[in-house]
Amino acid sequence: MISTRSFSKFSIVASLLAGAAVISSPAFSQSGMNTTSLQHEVVLDGLDNPWDMAFLDDGTMLFTEKCKGLSVLMPDGTVNALYGVGETEGYPSNGADLFCEGQAGMMGVAFDPDFDANRRIYVYSTSNMSDPHTNRLMRFTLNEDFTGVSDRTDIVDDVPYKMAASNHPFGGPGAHNGGRVRFGPDGALWLTTGDNHNSEIPQSPTLMGSKVLRMDTDGNAHPDNSPPEGFDPRTYTYGHRNVQGIAFHPETGAAITAEHGPWHSDEITILENGGNAGWDPRPNMAGRGDCPDDYCGYTPNQEEGMNRYERAASMPMTDFDTYPDAMPPIWNNNGWSQGTSSAAFLKGESWGDWDGAMVVGIMGIGFGGTPIGQRIDVIQFNDDNNDVEDVTEMTLPMEPGRFRSLVMGPDGSLYTAIDEGTISKLTPGS
Amino acid sequence: MVNRYVLAASIIVCGFSAWADNHTAGASTDSADAPVTEPEVDLSAAEKIFKKSCRACHGNKAQGAASYPNLSDLEPAYIVEMLERYRSGERIGPNSILMIQNAKKLSDQEIASLSVYVTTAFD
Repeated sequence: MISTRSFSKFSIVASLLAGAAVISSPAFSQSGMNTTSLQHEVVLDGLDNPWDMAFLDDGTMLFTEKCKGLSVLMPDGTVNALYGVGETEGYPSNGADLFCEGQAGMMGVAFDPDFDANRRIYVYSTSNMSDPHTNRLMRFTLNEDFTGVSDRTDIVDDVPYKMAASNHPFGGPGAHNGGRVRFGPDGALWLTTGDNHNSEIPQSPTLMGSKVLRMDTDGNAHPDNSPPEGFDPRTYTYGHRNVQGIAFHPETGAAITAEHGPWHSDEITILENGGNAGWDPRPNMAGRGDCPDDYCGYTPNQEEGMNRYERAASMPMTDFDTYPDAMPPIWNNNGWSQGTSSAAFLKGESWGDWDGAMVVGIMGIGFGGTPIGQRIDVIQFNDDNNDVEDVTEMTLPMEPGRFRSLVMGPDGSLYTAIDEGTISKLTPGS
Repeated sequence: MVNRYVLAASIIVCGFSAWADNHTAGASTDSADAPVTEPEVDLSAAEKIFKKSCRACHGNKAQGAASYPNLSDLEPAYIVEMLERYRSGERIGPNSILMIQNAKKLSDQEIASLSVYVTTAFD
């Protein structure tokens, strides 16, 4: 099932550099300040919008396809379908209530840290079980031979879903669900959510969109969460726009999000327990008037491109004027919004100077004067691990795509999923 | 492959003409009498347009991605119709702003060429 493609784009130079690397430091493949030599393998191709992956130490890989469902790639290359979306054929069991629409569908996935003992996995998906529909975080038991799941328990059933189209760019139903599911180094279960194009959600104390939730594996609030009084206790942070990337710093353990901006200012933010990310697109505040369908997220001009700094002044991603104590982003993509979607930390000496650096997957389509940005950026932190020191675009050994998910594999490779249907792995070395 | 292009070009020209016939049916007799010019298909030009304006959303093989639909499985005539409607400024679905901005720059020939290119280039 796994196919391998060798890339020889820089074969001569790479060979020379590889030779030098073997002599000087065989474990370190990075050959310069702003470049690296990477091997590329296609792991799976022809998928339907692969959204996320999760690994066991032996290489077993769960993966989701937004409109099809959950499957597992076994170390021998076998793929077993596990749980289908709606009536999708080819799955041993299906969630009849699950569906996809626009940006919504089956999204994040995670193994329980104690999977060997409890066989539990977690999947986030859109469901019509409630009306209005919601996004749910489901817990399953995966059977011993990795061919089926059982014991579905919806440990979170109240993340809002956008039911109807609105007068906004990309304004169809199903917008802005967040969707990443990860376990932190504290053993807690983290879930990121989005604003649904609903201006009331981000600063709401009880609507669970636009939040980062920290919970136990039953969906109960982590006892150390400290949101403002009156907030749902599952809230770790709030006031986000649409968080699809979260990763944990390997030294500090800090939760760090990567987030889509509103036609400007993608952000990376080191989260603070109880913090406000400062997104508040409500009309008739912060100097704004009425907005289309009561959501100002694309103002002051939602029909065509305009200067991104003028946009940011009118509808800031982090509104420090209204919320002076909002969590400051440490990176804003040079003011652009290009669909920053996923985050991970590189791990292993083979990554050279990038060992321990953050990577973010970017999906930019080049809309309204914004440059196309389909790439992986490498974010290196300062010595105090509290700010960005350097950002380098990864030199890709394959065609770019919409990098929806980045996950470190147990083999030290970086696995990538692009919306176009391919899961790849990038391995340092030439 | 060349034959397929010719066939597809014929389909699109027919489709375009059929659409044009329908379009002019309700127009004045002056325009109904005007000759219908069949646009030539230029696949090289279409490839450039595709890579610049279409690939980032619809995928490098027009296979679709996220909420941007697959184009390679569509009929050329349908693509012509949709691009014409977007070019006129008509809103059709949540991604209309994107499509209107891109389509309004296209000529009849470019639309015809694109419709053939995306449905034949990635077989």
